[in-house]
Amino acid sequence: MVPEAQFGWTGTIEGVTLGATKAEGGTRCISYRIGGGKNLPFLDRDSSSPSPLIAYELCDYAPLWSPIVRSYCGDLVDSLPEWTKTAETTYKPDLIRLHLNSTRQRNFSDIPGLGKTVETVLSATGLPLIIEGSNEPKIDSEVFQRCGESGQGERLLLGTAEASRYRSIAAAALAYNHSVIAQSPIDVNLAKQLNILLKEIGVPRDHIVIDPYTGALGYGFEYSYSAMERIRFAALKGDTDLAMPIICSAADTLTIKEVREADPAMQDSVAVSWELYTGIAAAAAGAEIICVRHPATIGMLRQAFTSMNANTVRREVE
Amino acid sequence: MTDVELAKKRGEEHLKETLPSIVKTFAYEDTAYHLPISYALTGTAVHDRNTALDVFSRTGSNPIVASECILAEKTAAAGKEQAPYTGFIGDTVIRKLGYSLVDGSILGLALIVGSPDSPGTAAAICRELQEKYMLTFLAGPVIPSLLNNGVKLGLDYRLVPLGSAPLYGIHFVDIIARVAMMFGGVTPGDTHRLLAYAAERAKAIVIVFPGLSDDEVALVDGMRVLGFPILSIGDYTGGSWIPAAADGVVRKGMEEKGIRVNVTAIPIPMGCSPAFEGKSIRKEEMYVEFGGGRSTAFELLRMRTAGEIKDGQVTVIGPEIGSMKEGSANPLGIVIDVAGKTMKKDYEPVLERRIHNFVNYGEGSWHVAQRDLIWVRLSKEAVAKGVKIEHLGKLLASKFRMDFPQLLDAVAVTLITDPAKVEEAKKEAERVYEERDARIRGMKDADVSTYYSCTLCQTFAPNHVCVITPERPALCGAISWLDGKIAYEMSPSGANQPVEKGAVINAQNGEFDGVNRFIRKASHGEIERCSLYSVMEFPMTCCGCFEAIALMLPEVNGIMVVNREFKGETPSGMSFSTLAGTIGGGAQTPGFAGISKNYILSDRFLQGEGGIERLVWMPSQLKEELKDRLRKKLAEKGLEDFFDKIADETKAKTIEELMVYLEKVAHPALAMKPLV
Repeated sequence: MVPEAQFGWTGTIEGVTLGATKAEGGTRCISYRIGGGKNLPFLDRDSSSPSPLIAYELCDYAPLWSPIVRSYCGDLVDSLPEWTKTAETTYKPDLIRLHLNSTRQRNFSDIPGLGKTVETVLSATGLPLIIEGSNEPKIDSEVFQRCGESGQGERLLLGTAEASRYRSIAAAALAYNHSVIAQSPIDVNLAKQLNILLKEIGVPRDHIVIDPYTGALGYGFEYSYSAMERIRFAALKGDTDLAMPIICSAADTLTIKEVREADPAMQDSVAVSWELYTGIAAAAAGAEIICVRHPATIGMLRQAFTSMNANTVRREVE
Repeated sequence: MTDVELAKKRGEEHLKETLPSIVKTFAYEDTAYHLPISYALTGTAVHDRNTALDVFSRTGSNPIVASECILAEKTAAAGKEQAPYTGFIGDTVIRKLGYSLVDGSILGLALIVGSPDSPGTAAAICRELQEKYMLTFLAGPVIPSLLNNGVKLGLDYRLVPLGSAPLYGIHFVDIIARVAMMFGGVTPGDTHRLLAYAAERAKAIVIVFPGLSDDEVALVDGMRVLGFPILSIGDYTGGSWIPAAADGVVRKGMEEKGIRVNVTAIPIPMGCSPAFEGKSIRKEEMYVEFGGGRSTAFELLRMRTAGEIKDGQVTVIGPEIGSMKEGSANPLGIVIDVAGKTMKKDYEPVLERRIHNFVNYGEGSWHVAQRDLIWVRLSKEAVAKGVKIEHLGKLLASKFRMDFPQLLDAVAVTLITDPAKVEEAKKEAERVYEERDARIRGMKDADVSTYYSCTLCQTFAPNHVCVITPERPALCGAISWLDGKIAYEMSPSGANQPVEKGAVINAQNGEFDGVNRFIRKASHGEIERCSLYSVMEFPMTCCGCFEAIALMLPEVNGIMVVNREFKGETPSGMSFSTLAGTIGGGAQTPGFAGISKNYILSDRFLQGEGGIERLVWMPSQLKEELKDRLRKKLAEKGLEDFFDKIADETKAKTIEELMVYLEKVAHPALAMKPLV
C-alpha cells in the first residue's frame, strides 16, 4: 500500500512549449509542452507530471565529441544529416540537442555556416530541437542571432544562458520566439537570480528552462540533485521565479575515469549504465528533459521511466 | 532664429491641411505592421486617405501620425529614393536591430536631422556616436554633408541614411514602434504601453541642426511624447528643446536619456559575486576589522546633485591598509554620494542598506549590521592579494552603478579611516539617521492595509521573513515601512514586497491572516503563523542583523532587552552574542524576538504581553540612548515613574539581583498575568 503523497503544494511549474508543428507555424512533426507539474515526479497517477523527455545530443564537429560515441556510431558522426536521421528513426529520442561545437575551434569565424547547419538539422528531423550555441562570449552575439534566425518559427530551445552572458540568447529568444536554457552553477539562489535577470530583459517565464548543472553520478551529482530538489521545492511552495521546467545533461559521465578506463569490451555498457543511472536520478529529482549522448541509453531510460510510472508513456502528437 | 513653439504651431496646422490631400493608397513592403506608428498607436492598418484621417483624429491630430501617412503616400507615388538612402526599413532588418539593442551590442539610437553649419561638425558627432555604441539614423541635408566629408554610411557603420529630407526621420519612429511590438510585448493599439516602452526602454535621442521647415519642427517636436530628448544645435529658441554645443551634444543627450556605457568588470584584486555573500570571515581569517563595537564605524549614503560629485571617484581619508596592524580594529566611515535624474532623497536608506550586500559580495570582505553599528572585516587572504581600503570603495562605486543603472548616474565613495575625522563625520550621519527616523514617527499600523516584507537576509537565513509595519521597523533598524514601500517602487521584483494585512486573527498579538499567508509562502512553508506584536506566541523569525533581542525572563514574569553593543552577561545568564547564536538563522523561537532599538519606543512594543510594563531590564547604555524619547512616551501613557523601574547592569547583574530590585521598586510586571 503506497501512501498518498500529498504535501499541500501551492505552486505549479510553468509550461514551456518546445517545437512548432505546421499548424503552429513551424515544420516539426510534433511539439511538446513540458512543465505543468503540481507535485514531485512519478507520484501522481494522473498526468500532472508526465515522464521526462529524452533528448539525444549530437554535434557539428565530431573530432571534439566523445570517442565512445564516435566509435559506437561509426561514420555516421561525420555526416550530421545522416546522424540526425538515424537518431530519429533508430535511437528514437523525443528531442534532438545540437551542439554547435565547431565554434570551439580556434579562431572560429564561419558564422553563416552555423545557420546552414541549423537548417540542415531541421530538415533532417521532424523532432523539436535544442541548440547549444557558442562557448565564446566574443562571438555570442552573432552566433545566437544566426541560430535564432535560422530556426525562426520552430520554437527552439536555445542554450545556454549564464548570469555573466545571457543577453544575446535572450535577444535571440525575444526576436525569433524561442525559449532559453538558463544555467547556474548548482545553486538555488543563483538560479533564481538568472531567471529574474531574464525576466527583466523581457523573456517571458514560459520561455525559460532551468539547467541546474548536472555532475556525473559519483562525481558531484549529489550536489546537483540537492540543488534541483531545492529549486523544485521552492517552485511547488509558490516561488514563481523558480517554477520552470528543469533540463539535465550529465555530459561528464562519458569522460569519468570508470568509463574512460573500462575494459574495451565493456566500455559501451559501462558508459550506458552511468548515463542511465544519472538520468534516472535526475528525473527523480524533477528534471523534465534528460539529455544523453550514448544512443543505447535512450531505450533503457525510457523503459525505466515507464516502469516508474506505468501510466505515462511516450507522449502523443499534440 | 526659429521659434520652436511658433514653428510647431504653424507646422501642425499645415500638416492638418495637407493630410486630406492624400489620394493614392499606399503600403510598405516587408512589414507586418502596416504604417507602424499608426498601427502601434491605434491598432488600425492605414492604407488610404480615410483610414489616415480616422487615425489622425483618434490620436489628437498627432503630427507624427500625419507625417507618417504623408510620407507613405509620397513614397507610393514617387517610388523609393535611390541609394544611399534606405527609405522604409523592412521587418527582417528591424528584427536584427532589435536583437542588437536587447543584446547590448547597441546601447541606444540617435536621429540626426537638419543642415550642419560646417562640414566637420556632423562628422565629429557621428564619430562620437559610433564610439559610444549608438546606432545613428540620418535624415535630410546632413547626409550629403557627411558624404562630402568622406564619412562612410550604412548599417555596417552604424550610420543609416534614411532619406533626403528631414521628413524621412519618421522612419526612426516607425522602427522604435516596431521594436516595441516585436520585443516589448506592446500590442497594436495599446497607446499607453507603447509610450511607456518608448520612454523607458527605447534609449533614443534626437539631434537637430538648423534649417527645419515648420512641418519638420512639428514632427521632431512630436517625438518628445515618446520621451526622446531633442537637442538643438543653434538656430532654435523657445519650446522644450535642449540647446547644446556641437562638441557636447552626444554626452548631454546620452546623459539626458540615461544611456551609459555599462560597467562590466570591477577593477579590484578580489572576486566579487553574490556567490560569496553567504560566507563569513572568522577571527582567525581576518586581517583587520572595523566597528562591531571594537572601534567607531558607520555608513551613510547621501544624495547629491550631479555637479557635486565625480562618478567613480574613490577617496580614502586617513591611513591605508598598509599602516594598519594585523588583527587590529580600526575606525571607518563609509560615505557614499550618489546622483541621478530619478534618484529621490527618500531612496537613501534603501540604497544605504545595499552596502551590506555589496561588501559581502567581495570574496575577502564581510559586513554585518547597519548605520553606526556596522562591523566590517577584510580577510588575510584578500589583503595578501593586494586588497586595500580603496578597493572597498571601488567595489561599492561599481556595484551601485551596475545594480541601479536606471537610478544612479554617478556614485562617489569616501572612506574615512582617520580617527578624528570618523568621529566628526559620524555626527553628521547621526543627524541624518535621526531625520529619517522622524519621518516615520506618527504613522500607525492601523492606518494602512499593506505592510512590507524584507527577505534581503535570506542569503544568510534562507527562510527568514521580516514584516515591516509603520510601528515596527525591520529588526535591523535600517528599513522602515516607508523604506520598504520605496524599495518596492524602485524594484518591484526585489526583496521588499507588499504584504496585505488581511483579516485580524488576534488583535492583541498582531496576528493577521494575510500576513500569515505571506509568511508561509516567503518562508518556503517553514513558518505558518506570525504575531507582529508578541514575543511569546509565534514571534517573528530572526536573521542575524537584529539591533537588539527581547527575551522573556519567566522567573520575574517580565521581558528584558539587550542590544548588540552590550558586551557583558545579562540576567538571563547569557551575553548578546550567545543569545544571537541561539535565535538567529530564520528560526521562530517563542520567548525570543529580534528587534530594532526604535521598536522599543513603539506603542506596539510587547503589546501581546501586556505592553511596555513588561520591560524589566535593559543595558544602561541603551537606556541612556533612548532616555529622552522613552520618558516622553511613558509620560503619555501615564507611566512617569516607570523609566527608573527598568533595571540595568548597574542595578542587577543576575536574575536573583533583578528579582530583588524589581520587588524593591514594585515593578508592575510582577503583578501581571503569568507569562508562561
